[in-house]
Amino acid sequence: MFAYNAKLAFKSLNDRPSLTILMVAAIAIGLGLFMTTLTLAHQAGKIPIPHISQQIHLVQLDNREVTADDAENFNEMVDLTYQDTNNLLNLNMAGAEQTLVWNSYGILNVEEQNIQPLRSSIVATNHAFFNMFEVPFLYGKAWDSDADQFAQAVIVLTKKSNDYLFGGTNSVGQQVRLNTQVLTVIGVLDDWFLARKFYDRSYYQAFPDQGLIPSNFAFDNNFPRNARFDCWSTTTNPRKFTNNYLTELKTSECAWITFWAKLPNNTKEDYQTQLGQYIDSQKLLGRFPRKNQYFLTNINEQLSIISSMGGRQQMLGVISYMFFAVCLINAVSILLAKFMRRTKEVSLRRALGAKKRTILQQHLIEVILIGVIGGLFGIAVTYLSLQAMLRVNLYASDYMRTAADLMPYHQMDWEMIMMAFSVSVGCTLLVGLYPIWRICNVSPASQLKAQ
Amino acid sequence: MEFRPILLSIKHNKAIAMLVIIQVAITLTVLSGSLLMTTSTLKEWNLPSGIPHDNIISAVPQFYDLDVDVRQSVVDDLAGIKALPGVINASPVTQRPFDAQGIQKVYLDATNEAQEYDTNIFTGDANFHEVLQLSLIEGRLFRENEIVTGKKDELNATPPIVMVSEDMAKALFPDGDALGKTIWLAKGASPVEIIGIYSNFMNGERLNYFGQSYRTVLQPLVTWQNREDPSYLIRVEDGMAEGLLETVRNQLYQIDGRYINQVEVLTRTQKRMYDGRGSHAIMLLVISIILLLITAFGMAGLVSFLVTQRQKQIGTRRALGATKWDVVRYFMLENGILTSIGILTGLVLSIVFAFVLTEDSGVNILDMSYIFATAFFILLINQLAVYFPAKKAANVEPAIVTRAA
Amino acid sequence: MLKMENVSKIYRTNLIETHALRKVDLHIGAGEFVSVTGPSGSGKTTFLNLAGLLETFEEGDFYLDGQNVKGLSDNQLSELRNEKIGFIFQSFNLLPELPLFDNVDVPLRYRGFNAKERKERIENALEIVGLSSRMQHLPTQLSGGQQQRVAIARAIAGQPKFLLADEPTGNLDSLMAQQVMELLEKINQQGTTIIMVTHDEQLARRAHRNIQIFDGQVSDLAKDQTDVLIQSE
Ligand SMILES: Nc1ncnc2c1ncn2[C@@H]1O[C@H](COP(=O)(O)OP(=O)(O)O)[C@@H](O)[C@H]1O
Ligand SMILES: [Mg+2]
Repeated sequence: MFAYNAKLAFKSLNDRPSLTILMVAAIAIGLGLFMTTLTLAHQAGKIPIPHISQQIHLVQLDNREVTADDAENFNEMVDLTYQDTNNLLNLNMAGAEQTLVWNSYGILNVEEQNIQPLRSSIVATNHAFFNMFEVPFLYGKAWDSDADQFAQAVIVLTKKSNDYLFGGTNSVGQQVRLNTQVLTVIGVLDDWFLARKFYDRSYYQAFPDQGLIPSNFAFDNNFPRNARFDCWSTTTNPRKFTNNYLTELKTSECAWITFWAKLPNNTKEDYQTQLGQYIDSQKLLGRFPRKNQYFLTNINEQLSIISSMGGRQQMLGVISYMFFAVCLINAVSILLAKFMRRTKEVSLRRALGAKKRTILQQHLIEVILIGVIGGLFGIAVTYLSLQAMLRVNLYASDYMRTAADLMPYHQMDWEMIMMAFSVSVGCTLLVGLYPIWRICNVSPASQLKAQ
Repeated sequence: MEFRPILLSIKHNKAIAMLVIIQVAITLTVLSGSLLMTTSTLKEWNLPSGIPHDNIISAVPQFYDLDVDVRQSVVDDLAGIKALPGVINASPVTQRPFDAQGIQKVYLDATNEAQEYDTNIFTGDANFHEVLQLSLIEGRLFRENEIVTGKKDELNATPPIVMVSEDMAKALFPDGDALGKTIWLAKGASPVEIIGIYSNFMNGERLNYFGQSYRTVLQPLVTWQNREDPSYLIRVEDGMAEGLLETVRNQLYQIDGRYINQVEVLTRTQKRMYDGRGSHAIMLLVISIILLLITAFGMAGLVSFLVTQRQKQIGTRRALGATKWDVVRYFMLENGILTSIGILTGLVLSIVFAFVLTEDSGVNILDMSYIFATAFFILLINQLAVYFPAKKAANVEPAIVTRAA
Repeated sequence: MLKMENVSKIYRTNLIETHALRKVDLHIGAGEFVSVTGPSGSGKTTFLNLAGLLETFEEGDFYLDGQNVKGLSDNQLSELRNEKIGFIFQSFNLLPELPLFDNVDVPLRYRGFNAKERKERIENALEIVGLSSRMQHLPTQLSGGQQQRVAIARAIAGQPKFLLADEPTGNLDSLMAQQVMELLEKINQQGTTIIMVTHDEQLARRAHRNIQIFDGQVSDLAKDQTDVLIQSE
């Protein structure tokens, strides 16, 4: 019976191929756009270093003045001051690793004349960064705590900048200049794909930095501090700290350094206690005028707060839902018309002894077939439209990013492909229910009456 | 008009009628939503630049060796660039057209309550207007000896004069008597006198977004500070810009200790200014067009199918005296009624959607004329989608009624 | 009156040519009741289609009510059908979506009558066929005989000069067939010319005149016979 019904279903699809093509095309295109936005959201929503992301916490202490607004989450809270960064690093926190991050920039250049200098964004941090975030190395290794302490002139290059400056060879021990300062390459990173660049809280997709240097070295040589300075209202023009006034900045209440703590398993409570105690101790010194408050926010929590803020992507999402709905309705109205034309035939079959179940099976097979074929083509359409989106985003980035940079965010994975398939079959079935219901309830007698 | 039989027939095929109505309603919502978003993003899009941007090169060098004598290098750079064949003139600047950063304020008096006017303050030497090919509308140009040159925090005095663009002059002094007036470039700064008014040129993305694309103030100033060296605007002969990029880069590269951040034709700077919005808007438009096509083709497919189903009926009508046009009109009217109901529903949805988008983006995008236009367009497309299959169906031989069982 | 001179109809399919009518010469006067008989496939329906302007023909001339219809445009033919001809089909051909009232209304709308006049005519026509009480019913709610009576009402509502019927009783049992026949006779008595194709010898004989078609050729021989019959009554 199944074979017979399958044959009937195929025959019906073949009967008026242009209608079948219309239905499949509508479903495929609707699904394509729907899956495109879903895939973009899926990839954008991916969490960097997912296996440890729950342990990595952003640390923020509320050192703001009394008049400041209350903050609800990390996004409304200031980062750390230089003093607190140093103090926290010097506290002995059992089991916790801590690092600081701030952004700088400069021109990386080598002796070799025919390699033009490379404008670079630079991460100033400490040795713990590499271990905490499990950064992969291609050559060499991270610097050690001595390098931090003595502000050694060392640099870790990313793979890309090593490719550019040294042609991809092992450059460990070689010298590069950052502006006019000479540094020794101590390590070269391997490809390090981050779904989002979390460590400097930019959450950018695919905007890699070119090098990492010890924070103390960056201070000593007064590299520009590319940060937002949240200062008390008594400080006019905090932007002046970008290039100058380092001594004033170091003792000020200006918060600007991103601070991370990796708190495996049961260390979080302990850490919190210590933070509380630290704030209390500072209060004795006349700092921290507000209530004792700090934020410990892990990467997952941060991303969920950020992604709930919507924007263009969300608008595209809404439109793609409606678009898909139109396409489905389009397909189902053709399906309904097609089924309704068959009432005569079905009532004849029923009169000849076909059970309701058989009729149901025949039409279910037909609907599922449409869903499957629509799903297959829909996946192809999704692929094409993701490619198109990639081009659009390349164009919109003015070709500052490469296709390879953006590719991971415009790619379907198996999860998405399965999703596309089930959405296609599921939704087609869902909207196909009504036509099926109608055709299954055709009475054996109704159409035999002359008309 | 034969509304009654059509309504009866619609009643007879409720489900399909409902589907058509819903489809039209959602299509209208999506289309008008996209259109409103698109027009609001493209509102100030691709306005005339006011300058021959195809023939202007912008070069952004940056010294990383802070011991270099910037003053001398600017002199050398300009001399070197101007000596290049094909170069007409060049000027050192801190902001470039299409790329003005942020929004600056100017004031009409020195008090704390002074009203502020948004603008972008440009700087340049006496060649600035020639590089951008600006025309002098009133007053005079800067003289060589009025140009103040120096490191920003070491300047003894900022220039006491400025020029302003036509639009800026109008904004500050609606009566048209800006020339000779005094304005303040910052609260508590010393006053400056407007000595000339030049033709408009595009400032940058920020003010463009607020519909103030041509508000600029020009200071006779060549300054630099740590890591912010002067950029150069270079006007070249027609059609030579692309070919000169590499030459200019190499010319600047002659001086050691600096990095050439960017050498490009202003055309590209202009593209960059619009491409974020543009690509978004165009994406929405493409989606809308595809949606429209799907709806139209779907409708045509559905109708062509339904009419073959009703062949006998059409034959009967023909036998009873209906002309071909009567038959076509019947189907068009039927579709017109359904589409109109869909449109009425869609109008409500569209307005709600537009409100939500407005809430979201903070810009009021609701414009009924666009929604009505979209509605009309959908009606038109649907009628076309019905016309062709209906016309084909009307060719049914009336004899079918005596033949078919 | 209806006059055909030398009318031929050939169906061409890609394989064969069928001479459905061969050189038909025929005159049917106003007020006549003519029955058309013949074996299946002989061309009866074709003849009726030509007479009813549903199909065009290649050769000959055809005068309907004095007007030569050869070469008239599609729109003109539609208009003539609407004004001068009423159709009754074997399979009724009612529009299933419309109640009786609206079914009868269809030709009147194309005629362009105003609402009041249409209403009067519809009610009148349904009155004649005895279905006034069921005006708002759908066709599927009626028996075959009733449906055919609706079709008759629809055919006569515009008061056409000619009523063409293709096996009007072919789908009906004999009792219902009787009723329909009586109705047709009543309509004929009021002056409408009726041409009726039928298989039923009995019914055919009740017409004033019988035309027989064999293999596309019309033999009007039966005329005397019918006259005899009429006289004998
Ligand atoms: N549309 C057509 N195309 C080709 N042949 C046709 C067509 N209609 C009728 N015929 C042929 O014309 C002949 C006359 O048919 P018809 O007038 O329907 O016969 P009757 O009504 O007497 O049974 C038949 O041989 C039939 O097969
Ligand atoms: Mg026949």
